Amino acid sequence: MPDWRRVKDRIFTVATVLLALLAVAPLFHILATVAIRGGSAILRGGVSFFTDPPAYPGSEELGGVGPALLGTLWLGLATSLIGVPLALLTAVYMVEYRESKLARATRVFTSSLLEVPTVLIGMLVFLVVVVPMGRYSLAAGSIALAIVMLPYTVSYVERALDGVPRTYREAGYSIGMTRAQVVFQVVMGIASRGVAAGVLVGVAKVLSETAPLLFTIGSARGSYPTGPQSLLEPGDALPLLIFQFAQTPYSNWQDLAWGSALLLTLIILVIFTLLRLLFREVKL
Amino acid sequence: MSEAKFKLLVAPPAIVSSAILVLLFIVLLYYSLPALGEYGLGLLASPTWKPVEGALGEYGLLIPLAGTLVSAIIAVLLAMPLALASVVFTEEILPRGMPRWREAFVAMIDVMTGLPTIVYGLWGAAVLAPLLGDTLYRWLYEGLSFIPLFSCQPVTGNTILTAGILLAIMITPFIYVVVRESYRQIPRTYREAALSLGTTRYEYARIMMGMARPAILAGALIGFGRAAGETVAVALVVGNTFNMPSCLLAPSYTVSSLIANQFANAQLYPLMLNVLVSGGLILLLIGIASNILGIMYLRRVRYVA
Repeated sequence: MPDWRRVKDRIFTVATVLLALLAVAPLFHILATVAIRGGSAILRGGVSFFTDPPAYPGSEELGGVGPALLGTLWLGLATSLIGVPLALLTAVYMVEYRESKLARATRVFTSSLLEVPTVLIGMLVFLVVVVPMGRYSLAAGSIALAIVMLPYTVSYVERALDGVPRTYREAGYSIGMTRAQVVFQVVMGIASRGVAAGVLVGVAKVLSETAPLLFTIGSARGSYPTGPQSLLEPGDALPLLIFQFAQTPYSNWQDLAWGSALLLTLIILVIFTLLRLLFREVKL
Repeated sequence: MSEAKFKLLVAPPAIVSSAILVLLFIVLLYYSLPALGEYGLGLLASPTWKPVEGALGEYGLLIPLAGTLVSAIIAVLLAMPLALASVVFTEEILPRGMPRWREAFVAMIDVMTGLPTIVYGLWGAAVLAPLLGDTLYRWLYEGLSFIPLFSCQPVTGNTILTAGILLAIMITPFIYVVVRESYRQIPRTYREAALSLGTTRYEYARIMMGMARPAILAGALIGFGRAAGETVAVALVVGNTFNMPSCLLAPSYTVSSLIANQFANAQLYPLMLNVLVSGGLILLLIGIASNILGIMYLRRVRYVA
């Protein structure tokens, strides 16, 4: 006579382990496929994979993703220039004037922004920036991405600033520091790890976003953004290139998409490892 | 810097940050109104999508709306067992003497939440969809075609079911994190009380999951919101065809993938842009509503120890 409780327990344990492994199994398949297909595309292209524009569709040549790579870097930079100060100052306001109506509204509105599908942010920027300007531009893409970055960075930085013990502030005030000095020299200094985490998470999020770029940067596949003035021109980015090339039947363009996916994944994994080294718990 | 100047430095950014969501809502509503005025409720109830260049076409969002709901529901149903099993795995089965394995598993889940959605999409289109099309969908059609959901012959792997499966893979980590957080808050006394009854692991996990029920519902809602709003990964695998998702083995459309494919050129067609914006407005409402409901359920998780 088997003990049914024990049997049920065994079955439950085995099923749980199998389901949990099934949950993470796709990650390995994805990483392996990206590494193999992306790696072989990059090896085939060599240095020109990073510098050249894509070759003609269906051609024997591969070409490269130079403009998209450069575009992604410019987007990351311009987005950080808009998004990081905005997020930091917003978080400071939320912590310093915690009980004010505006602080509470900001908390609700920015955390809700987290759940807004990012394609809608692309839509908004298209309607209020691209249409009035009359052209797609990397600047429009940066504005969209800064909005995507905002709620992530705000929530990290707010938590970090909030965690600084009262006594440090009081020590600052007691030696005659102003509120601004206390916030920017004492509190920010103590919370610097959390602030850095907020910025890194925001940047990681922004570099991997595709949807906000669909109607904003214009996928100018051959143009190299060279300086700040290029921000007002249309440009390209790695995620957008992957999305568009994956839908084409041309094998050289699909190889470029896989190579770009490998680059993007590596960038994200590097940022992730940095975060992991700096802090134990990470939530993206 | 005086107190007043300091406030002048930090208050405007806070106003800008909170204004974005309000602006988004107003702009989407403003651009939706012409479409609502022209088509009325037909905008939601009509399955017709007939663009006419330079003239007024006929537009209804019924099919993409149904596609969004069906794919997101499939995603939540498939993701839930995976997420709950992962919670039990990391919280109850692994810790016994294997903290490193636990850390590794949690790190994998974290990487999954951070992996770019376009990478999921590329893999879904190139690997997952053809694989499912050649295996599972053929078997489902051959073996179970008497069930209406599986009654259509699959042509390619790009179907509404593929979108649901890919979304399930993508949202599992999010549900896992929501449930795990409140699972960990279950007070020690409750755990000890359950264990003191001599429960097996199965019985114990059932009791704990019962206590975490509001968090499970919250996870389902938040996962649903994520799945409904996901754009590029779905656009690559759903097939992008105006086809009612009544059979899961056929291609269909979702609101977000319709926007991704048509929005850039919508200005060529009178009112099409407005119709797509009203689709976007619905997505916004779904996203906000599922989030608010999810947070409400999470607030209910207050254990009194």
